[in-house]
Amino acid sequence: MKSERTRSERKLAWMLCAPAVLAMLLVTAYPIVYAVILSLQDVDLRFPDEGGFVGLSNYSAVLTSSLWWTDLFNTVFIMFISVAIELVLGMAIALVMYRAIFGRGVVRTSVLIPYGIITVVAAFAWQFAFSPETGFVNNLPLIADDMDWFGGRFSSFAVIILAEVWKTTPFMALLLLAGLVTIDSQLYEAARVDGATAWQRFTRITLPLMKPAILVALLFRTLDAFRVFDTIFIMTRGALDTESVSILGYNQLISRLNLGLGSAVSVLIFLCVFLIAFVFVRGFGAKVQEGRPGG
Amino acid sequence: MKSAWAKRALVVAAAAALAATALAACGSSSSKSGSRELTFFVAIQPGGTIEEVSKRCSEESNGKYTITPEFLPTDASQQREQLVRRLGAEDSSIDIVGMDVIWTGEFANAGWVEEWTGAEKKAATENVFPNVIETASFEGKLYAAPFNTNTQLLWYRKDLVKKPPETWDQMIEQAEGLKEAGTIQVQASRYEGFMVWANALIESAGTQILSGPEEVALKQGPTEEALAVMGKLANSNAAPPSLSTSDEDSARLGFEAGESAFMTNYTFAYASAQAEAPDIGKVMGFARFPEVVAGTPSKPPLGGFNLAVSAFSENKDVAFEAATCLADKDSQKTAVELDGLPPSRSDLYTDKVVTEAYPGFAELVKESIEASGPRPTTPAYQDVSLAVQRSLHPPDKIDPEDTESIFDELKENVEKAVKREGLL
Amino acid sequence: MDQRTNRDYALWTIAIALVVIFALIPVLWLISISLKPPEALTDQRFIPSEVSFDNYKSLFEGGIDESPFIKPLINSIGIALITTAISIVLASFCAYAIARLEFPGKRLILAGALAIAMFPPISTVGPLFDMWRALGLYDTWLGLIIPYLTFSLPLAIYVLVAFFREIPWELEQAAQVDGATPFQAFTKVIVPLAAPGVFTAAILVFIFCWNDFLFAISLTSSDASRTVPAALAFFTGESSFTAPTGSIAAAAVVVTVPIIVFVLIFQRRIVAGLTAGAVKG
Repeated sequence: MKSERTRSERKLAWMLCAPAVLAMLLVTAYPIVYAVILSLQDVDLRFPDEGGFVGLSNYSAVLTSSLWWTDLFNTVFIMFISVAIELVLGMAIALVMYRAIFGRGVVRTSVLIPYGIITVVAAFAWQFAFSPETGFVNNLPLIADDMDWFGGRFSSFAVIILAEVWKTTPFMALLLLAGLVTIDSQLYEAARVDGATAWQRFTRITLPLMKPAILVALLFRTLDAFRVFDTIFIMTRGALDTESVSILGYNQLISRLNLGLGSAVSVLIFLCVFLIAFVFVRGFGAKVQEGRPGG
Repeated sequence: MKSAWAKRALVVAAAAALAATALAACGSSSSKSGSRELTFFVAIQPGGTIEEVSKRCSEESNGKYTITPEFLPTDASQQREQLVRRLGAEDSSIDIVGMDVIWTGEFANAGWVEEWTGAEKKAATENVFPNVIETASFEGKLYAAPFNTNTQLLWYRKDLVKKPPETWDQMIEQAEGLKEAGTIQVQASRYEGFMVWANALIESAGTQILSGPEEVALKQGPTEEALAVMGKLANSNAAPPSLSTSDEDSARLGFEAGESAFMTNYTFAYASAQAEAPDIGKVMGFARFPEVVAGTPSKPPLGGFNLAVSAFSENKDVAFEAATCLADKDSQKTAVELDGLPPSRSDLYTDKVVTEAYPGFAELVKESIEASGPRPTTPAYQDVSLAVQRSLHPPDKIDPEDTESIFDELKENVEKAVKREGLL
Repeated sequence: MDQRTNRDYALWTIAIALVVIFALIPVLWLISISLKPPEALTDQRFIPSEVSFDNYKSLFEGGIDESPFIKPLINSIGIALITTAISIVLASFCAYAIARLEFPGKRLILAGALAIAMFPPISTVGPLFDMWRALGLYDTWLGLIIPYLTFSLPLAIYVLVAFFREIPWELEQAAQVDGATPFQAFTKVIVPLAAPGVFTAAILVFIFCWNDFLFAISLTSSDASRTVPAALAFFTGESSFTAPTGSIAAAAVVVTVPIIVFVLIFQRRIVAGLTAGAVKG
């Protein structure tokens, strides 16, 4: 009896998952495999008659280049700082969205607008604002009139991170809000009766119960942050050592049409992101995939 | 038995032949009685030039073909991205391509565009500036019909500067001495426009980046002089605050806002100033692109578009005809009239449309194009451009007093780039 | 039951104001740019000194056929809505199975979905272009819907799994014991609890499709399927060197309006589940 139930359960599960799995594989199976194959060859679209299998030499060309390591550092730097800020800010905003005693609709809608603005246009708006000749930022008090934000490496980073944080904090806030909503308010009542302070309620009840939401938000946000492209490309084009690994990949793949090198960079980016995801899932004990025993 | 078989075979063959002819007639009736449709992949021109010349040439073909423009994004590197993706996939839906001058070596070497020979070659190059013909050629063969060209002039404020400077050093000095608007606008963001500037300086100094599709020139003496000019401007008070992110648009905006007394920019800058900032436009003077070495005539930048026929087009014969019309004298006149694009035919510079579009400086534009120093022609152009950008950007890192180490870096990077080695 | 003191209101007003200002300053800046006439573009002012609606007019002139903007807007809305609907349905099925049922391959699906979300899309565009040209999906709505589904499903699945896992499924059985039919139990008890996750996922998927540039520019070639982010790349200024700053800003502002509508409708639903109160008692 039990094995029959298990088998029908499995069948149901696979039937439910099949459409999604199919939709995901159909589009990506060929391109991903193709990209990996390309990365092992010397292929340049502009020289169609040359090239051939070269094994791992594309990878060694990338990994022995100081450019790759500089860009990797830039990417990790931006990712780390922007995600950290977004988490804290997102949490604060989620609390406001949830607990505001009036104007909730206004807050929730306006918070999501940054996320909905077209990325390249948002980056451009920030660049326009910070540019000494066209923007208003330099006219603000406490800021030098001819401060060239994009003339220095770390001032550029500051604007890039600001733009990234502004754009994607809503993503965090939204996921955290949804996580907040699922917490049973009776738990808070009970805790208050027991004399717990607001901070204690937050750290002992809210945070632990929000763990799944926080982890999903952090995981996906970090993966996306690692692949930052548009913001940097529009603001500095990667000049002054602000280039990210995605811009590096773009240069090889699209500008130089060196499909072998470009694919190698893509695969390496994938492996880095995979490493990050691995750290998350193992290190933070993300138990997202374990469901409760079926009702 | 055999003859019965043979008879049957003949009947079947005859029927098949008849059917095939009928089908062929259906399928290619367009080539016999109707007109062939040619797709023209090119960037949008705001004034409507492309639609206008396509329409005119389609009409003049008397039904032989209709040219349908398929527009590409405004940004040149995005245009290339779209074209390369299709040409690399051997897409047969492209007939005529609007090719930026820097793509010729790349497209020709990859076998994506057809060679122009014989009468068509003659028609396409009649009266065209020799420099411009070079930009449409690779390894001695012509691969496109020159359409429009472009060059940069020195624009300056007549009310602040009595006599325009002849060299970059003079200009920097003059700018620093001004009480207001004491900056010089160039294009120095890390993009192709920076390569345009760098190349113009190097050529004006008397050497070249490449002397052949795979040979690096970059003679030390002149190159270091060019680099010194770049470094001097970037580190002087004449550098605008956002020099390292400047492009053609921000340059003209800075000039039109009255922040700079000098600007090197393309011919559009004049019309733009007249329309957007008439007060500045009234006092806008023009001169030739400044010299790097006093006494050695400068080599202004050269840009533009040429029209090529795709190697994968199914209508090549007709496409050549159409492209020849699209690039002819009348089309070029339309381009000047509607969009202010400098013609590639030198005999047009005394024509009314040109002298009206460039009041007072038509001759200067012609002279600049004749003296211009084009960017290198090589299949690895993108690599070379990236290498130059990476070596020299931001320009304020160049020490005008000591340019040897930056010269070494530049030469090394360009040598690797030409061989397509390494990461860029 | 707390007493709402004036101090509470004041503090909340400050908190709300801070959040709203943070969110909206760049948007106001965009609006400001879009309202400035070209001559005033570099005046460095946050509030324009003179207001001109030319940029907005130019977006819509020419009507539906000639305007550079109207058809792309329709494409964007249609493609995003369809993708969101399909994506949520597929992801819900899959997430339900993963959260509730035991079967081998659960981890594989989740890991695989994550892997797909992690792979740089730029490497997939070239082969996808070739595939779509061969299949005739190039420059069609379906040609964009499919890759959008592919790349939005991982996020949707993970969000839904995270929320479905939190649902106390025993309540469904409890309701049935109380006399409800399986269908009633599902719709009255489970669905309201699933709502926050579902609507969150819907908003995220919609915005992902709305914002995408890479696939939109590579897999389309005409207004038949080009969406707004790609259409912006075709805007021109007065000359080919002049950036169409004003009209791009205007387009970005107009394009945000559907987002505002979508979010306004859905944000309420996220909390509605709780207040529907089937869970309590």
